[in-house]
Amino acid sequence: MTFRQLAYRNVLRNFRSYAAFFLASVVSVMVFFVYSMFIFHPLFEEEGLGTLAVRGMLIAEVVLYIFTLFFLFYSMSAFLQARSKEFGVLVHLGMTKKQLSKMIFFEMMILGSISTAAGIAFGFTFSKFFFMIGREIMELESLPLYLSWQPFVLTIGAFASLFIIISFISVGFIRTKRVLNLLQGYWKADEMGRNSIILSVSGIGFLAVAYTLAAFVDDDSVYTMAFIIPPLATIGTYLFFTHSIQALLNLLKKKKTFFWDKTRLVSIADSSVKLKDSAQMFFIVTIVSTIAFLTVGTLASFTSYTGDFRESNPLSLIYISFEENPQEDEHINLLKNQLEQKGLAYGVAQLTVKRQTSAASGNEVDILQASQFNRLAAMLGHEVVDPDSGEGIFIPYSQESLAALNETVTDTVLSESDVPLFIDDAYPHIMFPNHTLNANSIIVNDQDFEAIDEPLTGYTGEQSSFTYYAFDVPDWTATLGIGNSLSDRMAEAFETGNFDEIAFYFENPGEDYRWFKSSFALMLFIGVMVALVFLLAAGSFIYFKLYTGLERDRKQYALLVRLGMTEKELLKIVNRQLVPQFFLPWTIALLHSCFAFISLQVVWDEFAELSILGEMAAVLAGFTLVQLLYFYLIRWRYIAHLQAS
Amino acid sequence: MPLVKIDDITKVYEGKVTHRAVNQLGFEVEKGQFLAIMGPSGSGKTTLLNLISTIDDLTSGSIQIDGINPHELDKNELALFRRRKLGFVFQDFNLLQMLTVEENLVLPLTLDYIPLDQMTSRVLEIADRLSLAPILHKRPNEISGGEAQRTAIGRALIHKPDLILADEPTGNLDSKASREVLELLSAINREEGATIIMVTHDPIAASYCNRVLFIKDGEFFNEIYSDDRRQTFYQRILNVLSLLGGNVNDLSAARLP
Repeated sequence: MTFRQLAYRNVLRNFRSYAAFFLASVVSVMVFFVYSMFIFHPLFEEEGLGTLAVRGMLIAEVVLYIFTLFFLFYSMSAFLQARSKEFGVLVHLGMTKKQLSKMIFFEMMILGSISTAAGIAFGFTFSKFFFMIGREIMELESLPLYLSWQPFVLTIGAFASLFIIISFISVGFIRTKRVLNLLQGYWKADEMGRNSIILSVSGIGFLAVAYTLAAFVDDDSVYTMAFIIPPLATIGTYLFFTHSIQALLNLLKKKKTFFWDKTRLVSIADSSVKLKDSAQMFFIVTIVSTIAFLTVGTLASFTSYTGDFRESNPLSLIYISFEENPQEDEHINLLKNQLEQKGLAYGVAQLTVKRQTSAASGNEVDILQASQFNRLAAMLGHEVVDPDSGEGIFIPYSQESLAALNETVTDTVLSESDVPLFIDDAYPHIMFPNHTLNANSIIVNDQDFEAIDEPLTGYTGEQSSFTYYAFDVPDWTATLGIGNSLSDRMAEAFETGNFDEIAFYFENPGEDYRWFKSSFALMLFIGVMVALVFLLAAGSFIYFKLYTGLERDRKQYALLVRLGMTEKELLKIVNRQLVPQFFLPWTIALLHSCFAFISLQVVWDEFAELSILGEMAAVLAGFTLVQLLYFYLIRWRYIAHLQAS
Repeated sequence: MPLVKIDDITKVYEGKVTHRAVNQLGFEVEKGQFLAIMGPSGSGKTTLLNLISTIDDLTSGSIQIDGINPHELDKNELALFRRRKLGFVFQDFNLLQMLTVEENLVLPLTLDYIPLDQMTSRVLEIADRLSLAPILHKRPNEISGGEAQRTAIGRALIHKPDLILADEPTGNLDSKASREVLELLSAINREEGATIIMVTHDPIAASYCNRVLFIKDGEFFNEIYSDDRRQTFYQRILNVLSLLGGNVNDLSAARLP
């Protein structure tokens, strides 16, 4: 046996203990490689959604790299600690520190190369599949598989550097000086130590404060709180796992009628030791899971924005012509021609909008004519309006504004033209997106509309009115590409900030919708893969803790069986020990996420007015299901191992 | 010239209660001697062995093995010293679980980068000597306690060390396996002239040795040398032990005729 073979055999024959760690590394490499395949795709060199994809995936790769670095570092130091007895024997037999480092370095390199190779192999095998998903999401004609050296080099380079960094760092953590301590091994410290009451209370205190702040956050404080709550919650979580749980269990233990009851004595005492021993691991698992939940939850909540899109954009194409627009007819004909070419049925309503000042509020208002409005309403299948002379009807721009306007009664005069208006009604449907008409828009009777003949104060007669062309296309998502030339000119004007060139406003909601939808789906796709790596890593920490404790547990169960514990009672104890290990960090992470989403809802309310509750519930339920499956899988293996002895 | 020269060594454990584990102990071990160190629980036997095997630090005094004071060596030289000069046998064997018997045997040579053909021949030689040949390819969890301890002895012998240190080598074995291990150790001592220091509290185990050193509370208590018959030597060991006192447990293995 040569020295290299020693390292090689150490890894291969210990493979079961490396299994979960290995799985998480392989998936991490795989996801990284798939992203690289997207990033270097020749199709994405052009502008558009591809740029977004490339940017998103680059960020995801950086996140993945940093996370994997941290994950590997933590796992490796735990692995090495668990192997300290083995190292003790080797050092005792005369292994120098240099040789020990060399051995560990070899082992890491073996693990690293196997997981990189496996990850790339899987990634390449499945890249066709991921490209298909990507093509669907980005609605590309085709996203062919390609072969290039770049993704391979990037992935291999990234992970080789990662494993080398980790092996150097983790080697530094082994102390060969105290051979005796190494020989005594990892599990020697079962003593409970004293538990600080102040820290236990402050752990729960920090969490309570963080939750309260999160629950009562409002529009003004939300951005300040974004910097206050996360650190508070993190410290609180740490103290909770290291101290508060012990304090709670000690309280339970003091109550002997509860504690000294059948199997409870063993399970609580043992849980207490295990929770203490893995407090830091639980903390990390909680934080990592919370981040994964939040990532996926936030991205999923974007998709509810697209779900809401049609409600606030019921028109299919919008063209607004301002004063002195020589191309008005030309543009409208262009749009009509393009719709006909595509074979899309459509209706168009032309509305003249006059701008006035309301004397009651002093605000500017947009005035629409009832007959023109009714044509549009009929086209969209809504009821018509018939205001009397001197009466007006508010046009709502969102569900919230509709509720508010229903409550409002206004008696006003359009000050320029001296037209009195009494308004106590609001149109019950949202028709115009809020950025295309004034927030205060009123429908008036045709005679009153004619009576408005004075221009808005400070403007010419031509500037104080505009023409609104509202197109209705039943197949509204099929309008892709219609009015492209207009959209391009709009985009150009927005970029340069120079609006002098264009005397119109054009919007194609169908196209916007497709774009929103694909880009959010794309982000969700990227986020889910990163979250998957996070969760697998968190799972591997738990697996590893169970695995290193297996030998000790086996001895303990053998002893309990000898003391006369039945199989059934034993399973009960096993359950009671496994459940907190799996679900305690999980529950805390769920709690964290729930409160984080309460705050997030405030942010959403502010600019999109929609509820993310449904998406959130779906995401959290999905993750819980996965965790349950993982729990049953591990429990099945764990009990099989225990019973094997 | 004695192989091991121990001069007035003291080991004090600092802590909440300062504990003097070994107190001004001095003795010598000749080359080719098979020495047993006996004493009641807590008398400092294992501490003494750890001091000799260089994995624990001395408080005062000096130890010389083959003219070298290992406590003056730096970390690297110390590792090399342990690797080449010493062989260890532990109570709980300390075999590496993921290596086979053969690989465990060859481990000290591997650490010294010995050429492969030499390693193979040494393993065959040792396996033959300790009748390990049939189990060479088994893993430690597949073999009996006696076989495991024979493997550990093989590992301690394979690099032909100057001194073999054994800490309760029969502590985890049944009486048949114990006898095999002890006969093996004494045969190695007789036939190959290996120097062995063995810590034990089993008087039967001690009776296989040439010389028994008794310590009590970390201090020298008595020593006796073997004579022609193991039975009478055993009886004399028991006599000293009864003088030594200690608790009943320590004498449990003794059956008075």
